[in-house]
Amino acid sequence: MMAISDFFDVSVFFILFRETLEASIIISVLLAFLKQGVGNAHEDLLVYRKLVLQVWFGALLGFSICLVLGGICVDAWYRLGKDIWSESEDIWEGVFCIVAGLIISYMGLAMLRLNKMKGKWRVKIADALAETGGRTTVGSFSRKYAMAILPFVTVLRESIEAIVFIGGVTLSAPATSVPLSVFTGILCGSGVGYFIYQGGNHMRIQMFLIFSTSFLYLVAASLMSRAVWYFENYEWSQLVGGDIAEVGSGPGSYDIRKSVWHVNCCNPLFDGGWMIFNAVLGWQNSATYGSVLMYNFYWIAIMIAVCLMLYKEKHGYLPFFRKYGKVGFDDIDLTLSPSVGRTPEELEDVSVGSSYSQHRDPNPYGVGSSSSHLLAIVNDDIGYEHSTYLDDNRQSLESTQGVDASDGLLEVCSTPP
Amino acid sequence: MRVFSYLVALAASATAALAATVQYDFSVEWVKANPDGDYERSFIGVNGQWPPPPIECNIYDRVIINVTNNLGNEPTAVHFHGLFMNGTNAMDGPVYVTQCPVPVGSSIIYNFTVEQPGTYWYHSHFAAQYPDGFRAPFIVHDPNEPFAGQYDLDTYLTVADYYHNSIPWLMANKFLTLTNPKGSEPIPDAALFNDSQNIKFNVEPNKTYKIRLINMGALVSQYIWFEEHDFKIVEVDGIYVEPTDASMIYITVAQRYTILLTTKNSTDKNYPMIASFDTDMLDHIPPGLVWNVTGWLTYNDNAEFPQPALIDQYDFYDDFDLVPVEKEAPYEPDYQVTADVQMVNLGDGVNYAFFNDITYVAPNVPTLYTVMSSGNLSTDATIYGSNTHTYVLGYQEVVEIVVNNFDTGKHPFHLHGHTFQVIERSDAAPSDDDNLVYDPTNPGTINEYPMRRDTVYVRPGGYMVLRFKTDNPGVWFFHCHIEWHLAQGLALVLVEAPLEIQAQQTIPDDHYAACKAGGYSYQGNAAGNTVNLFDLTGEKLQPNPLPTGFTARGIVALVFSCISAFAGMGFIAWYGLSDIKTSTPEVVDIIGMGEPLDDGDDAK
Repeated sequence: MMAISDFFDVSVFFILFRETLEASIIISVLLAFLKQGVGNAHEDLLVYRKLVLQVWFGALLGFSICLVLGGICVDAWYRLGKDIWSESEDIWEGVFCIVAGLIISYMGLAMLRLNKMKGKWRVKIADALAETGGRTTVGSFSRKYAMAILPFVTVLRESIEAIVFIGGVTLSAPATSVPLSVFTGILCGSGVGYFIYQGGNHMRIQMFLIFSTSFLYLVAASLMSRAVWYFENYEWSQLVGGDIAEVGSGPGSYDIRKSVWHVNCCNPLFDGGWMIFNAVLGWQNSATYGSVLMYNFYWIAIMIAVCLMLYKEKHGYLPFFRKYGKVGFDDIDLTLSPSVGRTPEELEDVSVGSSYSQHRDPNPYGVGSSSSHLLAIVNDDIGYEHSTYLDDNRQSLESTQGVDASDGLLEVCSTPP
Repeated sequence: MRVFSYLVALAASATAALAATVQYDFSVEWVKANPDGDYERSFIGVNGQWPPPPIECNIYDRVIINVTNNLGNEPTAVHFHGLFMNGTNAMDGPVYVTQCPVPVGSSIIYNFTVEQPGTYWYHSHFAAQYPDGFRAPFIVHDPNEPFAGQYDLDTYLTVADYYHNSIPWLMANKFLTLTNPKGSEPIPDAALFNDSQNIKFNVEPNKTYKIRLINMGALVSQYIWFEEHDFKIVEVDGIYVEPTDASMIYITVAQRYTILLTTKNSTDKNYPMIASFDTDMLDHIPPGLVWNVTGWLTYNDNAEFPQPALIDQYDFYDDFDLVPVEKEAPYEPDYQVTADVQMVNLGDGVNYAFFNDITYVAPNVPTLYTVMSSGNLSTDATIYGSNTHTYVLGYQEVVEIVVNNFDTGKHPFHLHGHTFQVIERSDAAPSDDDNLVYDPTNPGTINEYPMRRDTVYVRPGGYMVLRFKTDNPGVWFFHCHIEWHLAQGLALVLVEAPLEIQAQQTIPDDHYAACKAGGYSYQGNAAGNTVNLFDLTGEKLQPNPLPTGFTARGIVALVFSCISAFAGMGFIAWYGLSDIKTSTPEVVDIIGMGEPLDDGDDAK
């Protein structure tokens, strides 16, 4: 019996979508840099084209290698893995559902901080470029092909992440469902990345991302619920023994003591359409207390997580964890950068940093390490050490300015300029 | 002519005067034994021995059995399978039908006359107790049998299935539990010939042996044959039949066949005799199960005892075609009881057996005692309970019982107090999803002189039609004789001529005493109500049906889950919408790459 779930796996699609999206962002940022930096000057057009080619070459090389690696991994796993889990299939299914659910939950919300993702990559890339001395330096291989190496490494890393995630998620899915999901995931991710590059309507992109993330979390909730259902089903089939296969959807196929509802139709194991319902919404024709409670608890947990993340973004630390609130790279809300609300003229005035320090603010940009580092490049004469780590930076600040940087940072982050 | 009839009467009364009284004292107790050589276990034996002793008497004898329950842990009761108990319904034996269970330490006296010749057996009729060992033959000799003088030796041969585990344990843990949703009967561990295996039946050449075959098992019907020996079937369930040649019989639990087997000329060989399970009746065949049991017609102790030959198929004689010696044309029915057999799971997840839509649940007061304590109201079936499936029958009528078997298994049904004509028995239904139902306008094969017996099986998906005369006032149980199915409730009760029961019969004091000793109710309606016989509050009922579809609990769960999902997605949207609205062109400026990047209509 052919079913859509034989050819398309939702979790795989979303993983590929997310990873491709991030990779496309990186490439689009790179290309944007190039366009801004090199593409306008006519005399550098040749260099521009060459560098653009480098970017694409690096990206595609990374992608091809990961495809090969991915193929090998998946093939090896299927060969080895199929036999060992056929006896206790329900347990394996349950475990894989939990793994997939957790992975999706973890990566899902990040998709909604698109600008943060862009900003992070901009800073990282700027950092890396600055370190290699800029576009005009000729010399070591790495500098010459920086434009290729960066996307190569990034794409490779993102892809390996994707393979690992997919490996965990597809063990319970039929092998035929992987190719189509991978293809469409890459397609959609690239598509969205392209729109971002083009500078498309931010709101529209954000709405699209909101809808797709909501859908993603529906799937994650269904996975967690199904995991519990699989474990309880395993327990029941152990109690009943061999007869379980003959009972179908009728009485005896479920434990009456744990049943919340049971209908004799609409069984996702047998009916194609209901299989989709099961995959996306976690529908079971025979629901247990465990599966229903898990579904609801998961959503409650997500809601709490959202609240906590918003709180942290606003205040820089989790509730009750003020002491430990480290402003890490990903947590930087760049709206707090001092450029907000400033005119372009003000921004050009590099000495804006000094005006901050006049206000006893040791870290004028209040942002992560790289921009401090960049600040150092620009402000060589100020004497900051070249460093890419927040802690080192903080220490250097402390040493030069004698201030307890951690308090200052927190203050900066909690009081918008 | 008058002199002749006077002489006949004199002879008859002389015969009657010669009728003896046979007395037994049974102390029912646990006895250890190891019938298959594989496993020793405790059995319910009598007077320190197991198998329990057979009861033997002559026709018209009075039999008095004083049964004392020395089991220590279970009540008991005894039923004499096949005996009509005409005028002494209280001696029939099934608990909550004609008596209370006899509690530990109490005793009860069964006192009745035997008016029927042939082969019977006695067994416990409390819960599913008899497969734990309490069963043995009951042999009635008749000097006037049609084949008198045609045989040299009268003996019996029993077959049985046998469980290593005790029945109450199997019932509670393996059978009547929600982890057995398909109602799979526990598989017996071995087959037994005369409660043993590999028995040697010593025979002499050129002799005829009258062998009474009895199946005392709990579940499995068996095929019995004697290699290279044919035989004649002469009696089934106490009914003499025209001697019929056969080489193999199919005997269900509780049935009896009496055969005449003539031995061969020479003594140089011994011949295997085999009893083989009908494995269709087993839910599955566990590895290592030996479903045959072997013995030998032993002509020569010194000769070899060969292993039985394998056969391709069972070629048994269909008892439907037996012709009774006392031929009767099919009765014309006055009243019909239709019993549709099906197995359904109820709300506790357990698989129960139903006649129509009722699964038998025992009343608080034995039905016979309700008859005795209800006066004129005894003809109203309501007082016997809502879940006892009781029919009230008139006196001297013909009742037809139609059994439509909607289950995919064979069932041997037994009627207490009567033999019945087997009018029709259909083939099995062509497939598991089909059912053949009795259609009186389109009848199947009906024999000119229908076969009669007291236990007969119906085929899977098929039907059978039985007719009998209500000439025996009493409360009679009609049930499947597979003990597991009886425990599942595959039974109904016939209250036959209640007013005549009241007029002609009494309950002995020791029967009531057993009730009092065990704290059982013995007066009033099925609920024990002696004041208002139509008030059945307190009667036991069958479990509620399984909920179909969504109950309140399910709807609440589904609605709440939808609310959680929508709320969750709302939070996610909130999170997404509070994304940072600006990008960071300033970084680009700082490293001097030119104009700030344009991100479209980002808020600036």
